[in-house]
Amino acid sequence: MSSAYTHLTGHRGHLAEARAALDDVRRALGRSGLAVSLAWHDIVARYRGSILGPLWITLSMAAMVAGIGLLYAQLFRLSLAEYVPFLALGIVIWGMISTTIVESCDTFTHAAGMLRQTSLPLLIFPVRTVLRNLINLAHHVVIVVVVLALFTPWREIDLAAALLGLALVVVNLVWVTTVVGIVAARFRDIPQIVAAVVQFAMFMTPVFWRPEAIPERHLVLTLNPFHYMIAAVRRPLLGEPGEPGAYAILAALALAGWALAFGLYVITRRRIVHYL
Amino acid sequence: MSSVSVRQLTLRFPVYGLDAKSLKRHLARVAVGGRLSAARRGLQVVTALDNVSFELRGGDRLGLVGHNGSGKTTLLRALSGAYLPDVGEIEIHGRVASLLDLSLGIDPTATGIDNIFLRGRVAGLSTAAIQERLEAISEFSGLGPYLAMPLKTYSAGMQARLAFAVATSVDAEVLLMDEWFAVGDADFQEHAQARLKGLVERANVLVLASHDHDLLRAYCNKVMRLDGGRASPVVDIAQLDELLHAPAP
Repeated sequence: MSSAYTHLTGHRGHLAEARAALDDVRRALGRSGLAVSLAWHDIVARYRGSILGPLWITLSMAAMVAGIGLLYAQLFRLSLAEYVPFLALGIVIWGMISTTIVESCDTFTHAAGMLRQTSLPLLIFPVRTVLRNLINLAHHVVIVVVVLALFTPWREIDLAAALLGLALVVVNLVWVTTVVGIVAARFRDIPQIVAAVVQFAMFMTPVFWRPEAIPERHLVLTLNPFHYMIAAVRRPLLGEPGEPGAYAILAALALAGWALAFGLYVITRRRIVHYL
Repeated sequence: MSSVSVRQLTLRFPVYGLDAKSLKRHLARVAVGGRLSAARRGLQVVTALDNVSFELRGGDRLGLVGHNGSGKTTLLRALSGAYLPDVGEIEIHGRVASLLDLSLGIDPTATGIDNIFLRGRVAGLSTAAIQERLEAISEFSGLGPYLAMPLKTYSAGMQARLAFAVATSVDAEVLLMDEWFAVGDADFQEHAQARLKGLVERANVLVLASHDHDLLRAYCNKVMRLDGGRASPVVDIAQLDELLHAPAP
């Protein structure tokens, strides 16, 4: 007979709730394999029955990079060699960040069927949302490699720094997904607000335009977390010197964000399933 | 030895996203469901389970009876660990498997095979362990070539066969079922009954909610009645009729 044991109790004070929440985090880590399976299934399901399948992810992104690259290089009067790699990385990284945040609204609502009849740790679902988008991102590696090879025959690429940047972005996205997922499950206006904010952020962030085009230390850059996220991954891949302070800022943001997410989870862990 | 122990379990849930004011007007004439009461800030709160206590040990097959909205499904969801108690506690020794919602939120374009894997993964099996059982599960489901077809082409009975085949293959020690599995045909019922008997013979626990008294008599050896979230004592299935005619607990 297995030693599986479940003990569920009523609310016994905030300390006990925090301890139980910590235990939930531990259980979620123990079931991280399930998050991978679900994320993988999401991708497979999305392209089931389509002929090109996940190749569509790559193709649509390639078309966007080519179209916007050719047009905006002229608009901004930049050479293709200078602009296209910058743009390709910008779109690819921003695409991952923005889609994750938009999809985070459905993190828990889409899992209602599972959450209502199992004791699965809730926190595997934010991980699933982020992992799904990382798998999507992996499809774009081809574009990045082709663009970098085509336009920049020789550059000192700091892959380690870029991966560290990506890791920091992912750590931040998991807490964002947790917070947005919980709030969006409770208040059904949130998805619309999130979509509007993300779209606004796209124009406020140097995705298409070069940050050098505006005065240094402009608030749109210094107060914009997305600017640091993109710079932390893009600059090392373009062979540019790292954005000063980007890694420290992202690490601090992750700590603060996780504290917020954990606090919110402690308060709502008993209620999330009822929001759905 | 698996066991289930529920002590003074009270479960209330706030109902979000509805116009609490319009609902209040109808409060006086509530015929079904738990007792509704207005909580602070105008949020509607349903007391779905009220001070429920019972003990089950290995070999117990508990039937739950009661009107629609009496708390049967809520109790099953609480036992599955999905709803946390507001008051009281639930202690379960043994691995729990639940068959409450048919779909489990799996997308309808997924094939039967995908479903077996996803359900198995959700239930806590590794991919290798599912692979090992795949043949046995496929055979028990009786779905044959349909397993390669998307779930949206399945009838309710076929979905039930699949869900049941997986849930009873994950080495569950405590099996929770809502009565939907009764949608299967006679052939399936026969197989299902044999399998449940086998499970219970291995000293496991079954909790089954149903309105079908013959079904309860066939599967269960004990019964408990829920009424407006309150529970009767657990009695032998032979006393089902007396229990049903007794005044509300």
